[in-house]
Amino acid sequence: MSDFQTSTHRERWIFQPHDLMDKWAAANQRSAETLAQYGTTRLKVDPVDGSISYPEPAPDHVVGSSSVKPLSCEEEQLMRVFYEQKIQEVCAAFKFPHKIQATAIIYFKRFYLQWSVMEHHPKHIMLTCVYSSCKVEENHVSAEELGKGIQQDHQIILNNEMIVLKSLDFDLIVYAPYRPIEGFIDDMDGFCKAGNGAHQRLKELHQTANSHVDKMMLTDAPLLYSPGQLALAALSKSNDMHQVLNFERYLGSVFSRQKSNCPVEQFVQTINAINYLVDQLQIPTLKDMRHADRKLKHCLDPSSHDEHKKKEKKSKHKSKRAASDAQLGANDDDLSRCIWRGSENGVAGGSNDESIVVYFDGQSSTAMTGLV
Amino acid sequence: MGDGRAGGSNRPAWLQHYELLGKIGEGTYGLVFLARLKPTHPQAAGRRGSPIAIKKFKQSKEGDGVSPTAIREIMLLREINHENVVKLVNVHINHADMSLYLAFDYAEHDLYEVIRHHREKLNLPINQYSVKSLLWQLLNGLNYLHSNWIIHRDLKPSNILVMGEGEEHGIIKIADFGLARIYQAPLKPLSDNGVVVTIWYRAPELLLGAKHYTSAVDMWAVGCIFAELLTLKPLFQGVEAKATPNPFQLDQLDKIFKVLGHPTVEKWPTLANLPCWLNDQQHIQGHKYENTGLHTIVHLPQKSPAFDLLSKMLEYDPRKRITAAQALEHEYFRLEPLPGRNALVPSQSGEKAVQYPIRPVDGSTDFEGTTSLQPTQPPSGNVPPGNQPVPRPHPRQMQQPMGSMPRMPAGANMGAFGPVPQPGMVGMNPGNIPMQRGAGGQSHPHQLRRKADQGMGMQNPGYPQQKRRF
Repeated sequence: MSDFQTSTHRERWIFQPHDLMDKWAAANQRSAETLAQYGTTRLKVDPVDGSISYPEPAPDHVVGSSSVKPLSCEEEQLMRVFYEQKIQEVCAAFKFPHKIQATAIIYFKRFYLQWSVMEHHPKHIMLTCVYSSCKVEENHVSAEELGKGIQQDHQIILNNEMIVLKSLDFDLIVYAPYRPIEGFIDDMDGFCKAGNGAHQRLKELHQTANSHVDKMMLTDAPLLYSPGQLALAALSKSNDMHQVLNFERYLGSVFSRQKSNCPVEQFVQTINAINYLVDQLQIPTLKDMRHADRKLKHCLDPSSHDEHKKKEKKSKHKSKRAASDAQLGANDDDLSRCIWRGSENGVAGGSNDESIVVYFDGQSSTAMTGLV
Repeated sequence: MGDGRAGGSNRPAWLQHYELLGKIGEGTYGLVFLARLKPTHPQAAGRRGSPIAIKKFKQSKEGDGVSPTAIREIMLLREINHENVVKLVNVHINHADMSLYLAFDYAEHDLYEVIRHHREKLNLPINQYSVKSLLWQLLNGLNYLHSNWIIHRDLKPSNILVMGEGEEHGIIKIADFGLARIYQAPLKPLSDNGVVVTIWYRAPELLLGAKHYTSAVDMWAVGCIFAELLTLKPLFQGVEAKATPNPFQLDQLDKIFKVLGHPTVEKWPTLANLPCWLNDQQHIQGHKYENTGLHTIVHLPQKSPAFDLLSKMLEYDPRKRITAAQALEHEYFRLEPLPGRNALVPSQSGEKAVQYPIRPVDGSTDFEGTTSLQPTQPPSGNVPPGNQPVPRPHPRQMQQPMGSMPRMPAGANMGAFGPVPQPGMVGMNPGNIPMQRGAGGQSHPHQLRRKADQGMGMQNPGYPQQKRRF
């Protein structure tokens, strides 16, 4: 659909900042209550029928007795950003077109407006988001291929497909800022009257703007602003660097042609607000992640909490092994230990090259070094 | 929605908001049911008892989740809102077999049945007013789709529904978006989707292997449908060459060239770049066709506006072919009789309105496609409103499995494709699954299910059918 104006994206999936806070807080709260009541937060997706069930309380569980702490809203945020960035890595490893990555991240963001990361592990949901994005963008990749390419069980991808589609309320067409950027660049070509080397400079402007959008995708901005606004914010920022044109004058020309009532000054504020979000973006450090991931692991699997203390002593030795351990199946009980490999051509080749694209291990810091 | 799984007759909660009337169609990707909204349905307000067509999609193929056909249909229809496009009312999930159910406003008729009724029962042409109104509404819906960069890619009479008696009586609804796609900035060439459009309605550029094509392929199909409305016979009834990955279809092209004459590079400059024309393995370039003349087939004076419009739709060069927007402005629609909202019944006319047959309903099938209808359903418990997932902090199943049920064997109704059609075959087409209804009649692509596997083609040599590849 070319018409954003009448889209479900515009009608249902652009929010005010407080809407987002409320939704995240509600999901977090619900999950914390589940943890207190049942000692675990994990929702199970039945591999046979895809139904979702809440945890069975452990027989010895006393309500409120859990020593496992739920993730805070901030920690959830951290995990979401981390896995959104992983989506970009997976898509890059598969050499998917840019749009796939953006669509997958928007799916991921929308999904976690309704669920806590404590209910559905983001590592699994991100893969299903990539998978669904490929289907929707007519860039079909089989679950098996995708799973193989990153050494993950493709059944998990499929098991979560229905819950993801349903959580998106089947609103599957999403608008990324990349296309509007192209449009504006074309338009700027006319605006600049193609002076000396203007073409080349616009190309640079375009490239830098695209990489700004990549960062923007990791912020809340795609849930708050239209793709056109995001595109102009990225171009504005890119223009700060390349100084290709007078951006305010350009905005003035765009608005006058569109007979828009929005004053340029007001729009500049929107642009600034978007770019502020990007400036504030902090990609979680591994240290940040270790702590949050350990908590998540205990929320999902409380029995790991007790084992954790015993393991901690040995972990230094063990982690070195984990780095070379490509067989994930061996560690089924240990959800957070995984090494996902992407082979050169982006699909499974089984090659043992070092291009590990996605990797996260809550325990072994050694293996993470230099890989993430 | 109850606690846990209590036996084999469990059903998803949403199902209990529908009163199932029976099966009205089936195809390779699923079944279509007719149902009514019960008053308990969250959307029942103001439309209690409205008939709903429910299209059940099976999983695509072993191990690849929701079928791309279902995804396309859902994602496009969620964004679309137009009087001449079928309305998707709801999407439901049955987790027991991971199938999707799409609920549509029900349409009693379709152009395939309307045409067949005139041809076989009435032995009378469709009146001018109806032809013009049907065509205008079809173009109106198509113009909306094309202006939103959507190509339908499977237009044919059975995919064009017509509303039965009621507030929307005689209004056309374009249906079946299982092959439709957005063609703005595609990530891959459109031809990667494989063969599109049922062969009789397939545009020449597709038959000659075009990698990139446009909404003009839909306009070619509209031209074919226009001619069929006039003559009650498909215009180009080629025999499909199957089991070939090559898009080249000699017989279909032969049928087209015989009527429209040989295409030339002068009239169609990009013809020279089309793969199948270029390599000319069947020597089509050298073949000489007598131009038998379209006008003699459709019985229209060559100078009539109707003929002018038709020939502009059947223009070889897709870049010169008339667009939906242009067609709506054509003189033909400004002359009496003017097109109207109820295409089946002229507003003021002494003519008696034609009574079109209603769709047969097979009441012996339940929602899963199993044949014994269970009259009693377990009472429903808590029902989540709307489509939003409602997580509940309780240890219970959110979705009830329906227990194990036999699946429809693939190709269960293959018999209907055979040379001897089975009388009494149940069918209809709200979501537009190609099917055959009734006995007799010629073999027709509408009747042929799209079959992904090649074996099907082997069983029915000589029959046109559509293949879907993904």
